[in-house]
Amino acid sequence: MGNEPAHTITRYDQELDRLRGIVARMGGLVERQTAQAIAAVVNQNEEAALEPPELDPEVDALEREAEMLAIRILALRAPMAVDLRVIVAVLKMSGDLERIGDYASSIARRAGKVEVLDGAVSFSALRAMARLVQENLHMAVESMVENDAERAQEVWKADTAVDELYTTMFRELVTYMMEDPRKIGPCIHLLFVAKNLERIGDHATNIAERVYYAVTGEMLPSVRPRGGAARTNVEQPE
Amino acid sequence: MSIEVPVKATGMTQSLDSTAASRDVQHPVAMQVRGLNFYYGTSHALHDISIDFPERSVTGMIGPSGCGKSTLLRVLNRMYDLYPGQRATGEVIFDKQNILNSGVDLNVLRSRIGMVFQKPTPFPMSIYDNIAFGIRLHERVSRSEMDGRVEDALRRVALWAEVQDRLSASATALSGGQQQRLCIARTIAVRPEVILLDEPTSALDPVSTARIEELLDELKTEFTIAIVTHNMQQAARCADQVAFFYMGRLIEVDSTARMFTTPREQQTQDYITGRFG
Repeated sequence: MGNEPAHTITRYDQELDRLRGIVARMGGLVERQTAQAIAAVVNQNEEAALEPPELDPEVDALEREAEMLAIRILALRAPMAVDLRVIVAVLKMSGDLERIGDYASSIARRAGKVEVLDGAVSFSALRAMARLVQENLHMAVESMVENDAERAQEVWKADTAVDELYTTMFRELVTYMMEDPRKIGPCIHLLFVAKNLERIGDHATNIAERVYYAVTGEMLPSVRPRGGAARTNVEQPE
Repeated sequence: MSIEVPVKATGMTQSLDSTAASRDVQHPVAMQVRGLNFYYGTSHALHDISIDFPERSVTGMIGPSGCGKSTLLRVLNRMYDLYPGQRATGEVIFDKQNILNSGVDLNVLRSRIGMVFQKPTPFPMSIYDNIAFGIRLHERVSRSEMDGRVEDALRRVALWAEVQDRLSASATALSGGQQQRLCIARTIAVRPEVILLDEPTSALDPVSTARIEELLDELKTEFTIAIVTHNMQQAARCADQVAFFYMGRLIEVDSTARMFTTPREQQTQDYITGRFG
């Protein structure tokens, strides 16, 4: 995946490079969106909260561009083997990246609504979760850019911890809300923030799975290791 | 709050071979090549080839020019015997017999293992006689039975409707695609078990090519088919298993889905993705 010898047809290589370039740029953008969204919530940085939604249109446009180019290459080049796997991976990863951008924007928009909870136990759990998700996303994007199957597998395994933290937060916040109904509003916002972070982690894991497939030709198991002894089973309206 | 039971990871990776996309039925082997070496005079053209051709399925043979794929095809019905100085060592087991042995009756062998060439090769005779000719070589049949055999062969290559009114017309007046289907009809009329095709569509337009490919799909329910092709997409469309040859060696053979998505060998990947030298 990118570490292969050159194609006989130079333009084919150029098209594949362009395709990889698009998702690499998307990766950079959504990492930035996620970082700013987290800063907005965790550090109550109001300015940071503005950036993720602003970057959204650019991410969306890149997703469309990746899709159109991928379809074009599929139609005109009849790609095989590693090329085919990369193109299919890019198609799916661009969707994952676009979703990550959306979740980051959603987090940023809730930033001002959770500050009353600063100091609560859940807030430190959120910090830990944010750090983990950011790390995983970074590793996933890096594995994507560098065609690193080993790193991709690390990301895939690391999502467990995020799930565990989310489960912990969920329980705590339910307890909070029962104790003090006045906190229900902010608690729900914080829960959404946590849920969105958890979703970002899931999409980072998806990206890692695509990278692993593109590089090795093998699929990781459809069921990934799950964190926490339990999963919440509550419908989550967006 | 309800609790979901966590699902344990299986710890297994999935490959294409474990999905329905790969060969779902294991066919018995019709031809078995073992340790085959082939020489054009002093030139060593095939090196220690071992490959199985499963019954009633299509084996696609791909590789750059001069890789040995057509040579292998020519060994499988001893076509090379026509040329002095060419010799093969090793084994090609067909019906429990090594067909490379000197005692093998080549006429019988070639009636059981038919061949279709790159350029359509109709005989300069009528459409009817093109089919009847081969049958007469091997069998004595009545006129009415011959009529039936000719019609049957032409129907099976979907040519009957197009030529039934002009069976006595010269075969050379047919279009290229029709000629090639006639040649396939001629081959299957003698009821072979194996059909070898050497680039059978490289001289045909896309519609004629599609018809031949469709035909292969039907013929493989009855015959064992080996097809040499330069067209990777054709191998992908027609073959159940694909073998990649390079410089006289068999580099890799696997199910078609596996070969074109996840080949094991770097040389295979470089070739099928268009990264070759």
